[in-house]
Amino acid sequence: MNFVLIFLITIFSLSLFFYGRSKTKSIAIEKNIKLNALPKFYGYYLVLWCSIPSLVFLLIWSLFEPVIVKSIIIETAANQGAIFNDKNEANLIYEKIKAIHLGTYFGDIDNILRESALAYAKFINLFTNSKVVLIFAIVIVSVIYSLKKINKNNKARDDVEIILKGLLFVSSLIAILTTLGIIFSLLFESIKFFSVINIFDYLFGTNWSPQRAFVRDASSITAAEFEELKDAFGFIPLIAGTTFIAFIAMLVAVPIGLFSGIYMAEYASLKIRRISKPIIEILAGIPTVVYGFFAALTVGPFFRQIGENFGLTVSSESALAAGLIMGIMIIPYVSSLSDDVINSVPQSLRDGSYAIGATKSETIKKVVIPAALPGIIGSILLAVSRAIGETMIVVMAAGLAANLTINPLESTTTITTQIVMILVGDQEFDSPKTQSAFALGLTLFIATLILNYIAQRAVKKYREKYD
Amino acid sequence: MELMNNVKIKSKNLNVYYGEKQALFDVNLDLNEKEVTALIGPSGCGKSTFIRCINRMNDVIDICKVSGNIEIDGVEINDKNLDVVSLRERVGMVFQKPNPFPKSIYDNISYGPKIHGKGETKSELDEIVENSLKKAALWEEVKDRLDEPGTGLSGGQQQRLCIARAISVNPEVILMDEPCSALDPIATAKIEELIDELKKTYTIVIVTHSMAQAVRVSQKTGFFHLGKLIEVGKTEKIFKNPDNKMTQDYITGRFG
Repeated sequence: MNFVLIFLITIFSLSLFFYGRSKTKSIAIEKNIKLNALPKFYGYYLVLWCSIPSLVFLLIWSLFEPVIVKSIIIETAANQGAIFNDKNEANLIYEKIKAIHLGTYFGDIDNILRESALAYAKFINLFTNSKVVLIFAIVIVSVIYSLKKINKNNKARDDVEIILKGLLFVSSLIAILTTLGIIFSLLFESIKFFSVINIFDYLFGTNWSPQRAFVRDASSITAAEFEELKDAFGFIPLIAGTTFIAFIAMLVAVPIGLFSGIYMAEYASLKIRRISKPIIEILAGIPTVVYGFFAALTVGPFFRQIGENFGLTVSSESALAAGLIMGIMIIPYVSSLSDDVINSVPQSLRDGSYAIGATKSETIKKVVIPAALPGIIGSILLAVSRAIGETMIVVMAAGLAANLTINPLESTTTITTQIVMILVGDQEFDSPKTQSAFALGLTLFIATLILNYIAQRAVKKYREKYD
Repeated sequence: MELMNNVKIKSKNLNVYYGEKQALFDVNLDLNEKEVTALIGPSGCGKSTFIRCINRMNDVIDICKVSGNIEIDGVEINDKNLDVVSLRERVGMVFQKPNPFPKSIYDNISYGPKIHGKGETKSELDEIVENSLKKAALWEEVKDRLDEPGTGLSGGQQQRLCIARAISVNPEVILMDEPCSALDPIATAKIEELIDELKKTYTIVIVTHSMAQAVRVSQKTGFFHLGKLIEVGKTEKIFKNPDNKMTQDYITGRFG
């Protein structure tokens, strides 16, 4: 029904555009007056007036209709004699009634349910009819109003501009509110978590074993259970694993990325650049899950094999494999960002250096790189924050056990892996185990936020230097 | 007739191409030792291209091809086997826009000597820096802040810093590509004064758009037009009594 309505409104508004345009043209000719705006603006004006109020109304109606119908039906069912003790049971009955109405309910139907289903059908009908009537009324009123305005040769252009500005504003508002919503949901769930687990136990604990937290109900934790939980959520092994893997990744990505960036910016001829740049950037386009199974199925076993040849025990899920592949994934970020910053070092500096007799590599080493350094550091920091937040590769290749180690051949785990492990499958939402995922998410968010902030400051500072 | 100095740089049938486009046509020009030669002419006439041949800066541009001969002290420099690094040690250059490195004033000057292995000890380097800045008439202004960034100086000071940087490796020739076009009149006057002083030691070639500047600083002037050297001679003669009609028109402002 809603789709039909939206379709009708759209068709009607579009036809109003042509009507409004030609109408104003003819008015202008008839009365021999100068219009206050181009005829098409009157067209837009009608379109906006016809569509926006009715669509907004439809949106609000669709949001509130189910809530209202539900409360009415539950009340009717109660009056019919249905018995329910709490909200969940009421919801269950409501779902049953809905299913009967749609013909998808296959249980026993008693009198109460049947009557309620009839009532439901009646209400749905009533609501749909009144919705259609109201929307038509709104369309008619707003179109009449706007036509009247047009006849007075109003400043349609200004009004259209204001409405468009409003639309753009609403879009950015939605973007901002969503961000805030996500942050607050992280924050509130984390606060719940920290009300059970002491924040210092979390931040400085060295043992991570959230599976111990299968308690019945977070609100009724006994003292014994609490003691048990106290040291189950130690953050240190996770941050250590994350930093360790990110460090290995940077060991791979920074030199290779930076050197290839320097090559691209300073040495490569246009022809080579045109071919090789897209190829490097393809690396950035490979889905991380593909990197993940490459790391888990090819690189991990390969390292284990080599390790065996040297008599070493290498875990098939090792920090080394995960870090190496993550590094390869990050190469294009470092490479293309440093290519950009090196390219924006003015040619005049290179000329100055060449003119005094410096060779190309001396110029790059002593003039170009120092000048581009803040930007390069910024690009590396952005890459680090990407490495810390990367999930798929480490889930598949780094292992699951929180292992406090600095041996790259052993398996270790990261913050993101643990969040995934905690949240896949069926979860109880009030268990500290589930809530710990939000705490981890919040910590990760703050860490990458700080890194990004520093990185962007560095890049910006660098840009100002040559502007 | 006034005695002319020895010829330092000699170009013979010099042709320069940027890809398909020819930028210089058979330029034959002699530049005298310890003298200022000014190159004038409308934009795009090839004067900058010419001086960039003298220190082989055109090598930096991929599509640029240079044919013909340039000799410095009788030695051919347009030769593939020539060591460009030592050529540029002998032929310094100052650019249109001051381009100090984003380093300290001290490091800006010591950069060249370090690259060429001059001034091995700190005190030797200190001496080179001090002498170069003194010769560029900048020492008094910056001696107390040598560790501050060169980019923090004023435009005129930056340009003198670049001149000091060029002097630091003790070259024989200094090429100046419109060194004052980004400067105000006072800074320009200082640079011109400096050029007058420097010509006692160095052979100077200056590209300029200002006739007045050419008259003030140079002993010899060459007029370029559309990639050809139209006329060359003593500055006095070029500006008072040029042989060529086109030169006459240009210096009196009828075109360009």
